[in-house]
Amino acid sequence: MSTRKLALQCVCLAMTLAPAFAQSAAHHDVLIKNATVMTVTHGNITNGSIYIKDGKIAAVGETVNAPASAIVIDAGGKYLTPGIVDSHSHIALDDDVNEATSPITPQMIMKDAFDYQDKAIYRALAGGVTTSLLLHGSANMIGGQAVVIKHKYGASRDEMLFPNAPGSIKFASGENPKRVYGSRDQLPSTRMGNFAVQRQALVEAQDYMREWDNYNEKIKHGDKDATMPKHDLKLEALADVLRGKLMVQIHIYRSDEMLTEIAMAKEFGYKIRAFHHALEAYKVADQLAANNIAIATFSDWWGYKQEAWDAIPWNAVMAMRKSVRVAIKSDSEDYTRRLNQEAAKTMRYGGATEEEALKMITLNPAWIVGVDDRVGSIDVGKDADLVIWNGYPLSTTGVPEKVLIDGDVYFDRAQPGLGTTHYKEGE
Amino acid sequence: MMQPSAISHQPSASQPVWSGRPRPLPLILILILISLLILSAQAFTQDKPVALKGGKLLTVTHGVIENGVIVMQGGEITAVGAASSVNIPTDAQLIDATGMTIYPGLIDSETNLGLTEISAEAMTNDLVELSEEIMPHMHTAEAFHAESALIPVARMNGITNAVVAPEGGDTLPGQDSFIQLAGANATEMLLIRDNAMPLNFTGEQRRNKGGFEKQKFPATRMGLAAQLRQAFIDAQDYKAKWTDYDRKKADAVQNRKTEPLAPKRDLKSEALLPYLEGKKTIVLAAESPSDLQTAVNLANEFKLKFVLNHISHSQPVLDYVASLKVPVIVGSIYEAPKEDERYDTVYSLPAQLYKRGVKIAFASYSAHNVRNLPDQAGFATAFGLPYDEALKAITLNAAEIWGVADQLGSLDVGKTANVVVANGDPLDVKTDVKQVFIQGRAIPMTDRQTRLRDEYSR
Repeated sequence: MSTRKLALQCVCLAMTLAPAFAQSAAHHDVLIKNATVMTVTHGNITNGSIYIKDGKIAAVGETVNAPASAIVIDAGGKYLTPGIVDSHSHIALDDDVNEATSPITPQMIMKDAFDYQDKAIYRALAGGVTTSLLLHGSANMIGGQAVVIKHKYGASRDEMLFPNAPGSIKFASGENPKRVYGSRDQLPSTRMGNFAVQRQALVEAQDYMREWDNYNEKIKHGDKDATMPKHDLKLEALADVLRGKLMVQIHIYRSDEMLTEIAMAKEFGYKIRAFHHALEAYKVADQLAANNIAIATFSDWWGYKQEAWDAIPWNAVMAMRKSVRVAIKSDSEDYTRRLNQEAAKTMRYGGATEEEALKMITLNPAWIVGVDDRVGSIDVGKDADLVIWNGYPLSTTGVPEKVLIDGDVYFDRAQPGLGTTHYKEGE
Repeated sequence: MMQPSAISHQPSASQPVWSGRPRPLPLILILILISLLILSAQAFTQDKPVALKGGKLLTVTHGVIENGVIVMQGGEITAVGAASSVNIPTDAQLIDATGMTIYPGLIDSETNLGLTEISAEAMTNDLVELSEEIMPHMHTAEAFHAESALIPVARMNGITNAVVAPEGGDTLPGQDSFIQLAGANATEMLLIRDNAMPLNFTGEQRRNKGGFEKQKFPATRMGLAAQLRQAFIDAQDYKAKWTDYDRKKADAVQNRKTEPLAPKRDLKSEALLPYLEGKKTIVLAAESPSDLQTAVNLANEFKLKFVLNHISHSQPVLDYVASLKVPVIVGSIYEAPKEDERYDTVYSLPAQLYKRGVKIAFASYSAHNVRNLPDQAGFATAFGLPYDEALKAITLNAAEIWGVADQLGSLDVGKTANVVVANGDPLDVKTDVKQVFIQGRAIPMTDRQTRLRDEYSR
């Protein structure tokens, strides 16, 4: 039997077993060999192999030790990258993206709206996306708490939730809140109004925390007459922001607003994880870097609204050169299907290296989401979320051939539909 | 009436563009020189012959020429060939293009360039007149904003020509323009006014939003079709009325009788006449197989000459599409598949059409993202479209569809010197365009975005 034939059989075996893997906790061992491995953290390995055990990367290198029982996938010399992480997405939420009935809704939990059967999850998977941060929209100054998913299309709802991912909360600023509430003659209708609403909410959260601290103190000292304050989900969520338990993700465009948000965060003692969109980050990149604030930006979108008028395609690389951690994200059901192309644009606009470009859709967004210790690079111990590409991934023509999540094949170009609920063998 | 042959070259002006040197200058020096010298909007002319030497020429019509030479003179391409076979005029500005890829200016077959500046700012938009559905007397040429900041951004990536169309909210939203993305003013840039007219039948044109209380005619596809049919019949009647008038008038003149009263003019019907007479092209937009067939039947009923637009969800009837023997402006291929379609249904549409012998062209269907037109062509090759066809779909095919193939779409002697110099494959997203020539003139490689970049890079 020729090597090619053997490899093909092994691949087919892997595929037929995949849906079964997806339904159970038991993972089969997999050996991917003969790949050009783009590790993101320690260079490329030509003719590399990856041994996957229990859904994790157990070994990576030119040669690895794997048991003979492992399923073999011969990558045929093709490029292999970590799965793409999209750090700004609104797919799989039906139309439940904005609870735009009040500018402060931190008690919204996006998981409650997560539509795990949305085909957009599968289409993004077909573009190599394995993890996404599903965020509240930007109608509200403080929107809601995000959910992190893995694109295991066809698996159950709970299996698609990224296990133990840290919590994120979405803030917004600028035109969207003021347009939404201004159009109803409500506060906020200006940027002053935006920030006043945000500050008021945080002040209330401080008061709420003091009330509870005071009560808890009394109880601790045996005061049986102490009156328990009311539990308030909204203020509880904001208190978690002030306690540093929720990572703050802020939708923002203009550089002046970035400076105001930084000042506000200092005023209340919380940290900003990332500015999203951040199309004017290039104007204040030093300040972002000094405060360890990442950006999740577009490669070249511009001009769709006034606050996107100063957007330039060099934004990502200019910010990166000032030591800002940069992610390229989609914010779009369309672009999430080809984030590799969007990342490749940074090589043109500003001259990002291959590894820097790739990092913008893997390790950096993983940091923004708070899961960079688990995904985003090909390192031992990380989840086996991997993409085998048909060609060079940082190009227009590079498209995924196979996508694995936790070591299971969830997408195979030779059999599109794999993992979908209606998929039938041989279709 | 504007004729489709209106691409003209202005007589030479005297402003020096190139500083003559005996030896080829490195491209980068030339570029700096150009950006220093050309900043004012003068009449758009080429003053001095230019020769690009040593580059890889993607001619589109006669293959790839490695180590080629292309000469531009008087706004036209005057020589194309291997370096060894082309005589470079002695007075030509010689540019060393070694390592560069040189290809014809790209043509975007549907844009909203010049009709919008900032999407969310209503006062900057002149995209479509939604007050009525039948608006053939709207001329995009009359709203075209030549100074739009979007135009230099698009041409910086090698898009030199485009169709400007109104947005698709009406069945007949008005007439397109065929533009060149450089020129001193709108007149110079509007190469052909009213070159074609969209007829949109995608369902989006229905006035059915907001529940029964807000609906108005036409709220259904039946309504849209009836209204369209009436509009074309009205135009036929209008023509008959004028023919009758002309006959009676001639008779009156001949017999020295009182001349009859001229019929009232009807701008809508007048606008439709060149299309009813088959003199101009209807751009027939549909997405689904049913809408496509309804639209085609309607067009055939009035013997309209048409090309197809979009058909993103018509995969089940591609043989039927091929049988129509008309070109297709396809997609965009980024259009999301429907629930029951494969993830790659729309991605592979260009290849599927090509396989059936259909001539295709790509469009950005955009204003801000026109620069990304070549990405779409490149992406289609990942789903089966041959590379040469992908390149043709944004050059020669488009030129043929829009009736300007004698002037645009390939590197051939006698054509307009719209030429792009880039550091690699035009269809790859990483490729950087180094210089764009329009009518032989090197355009300044600066735009609003490079100025912001430079300002904040100091």
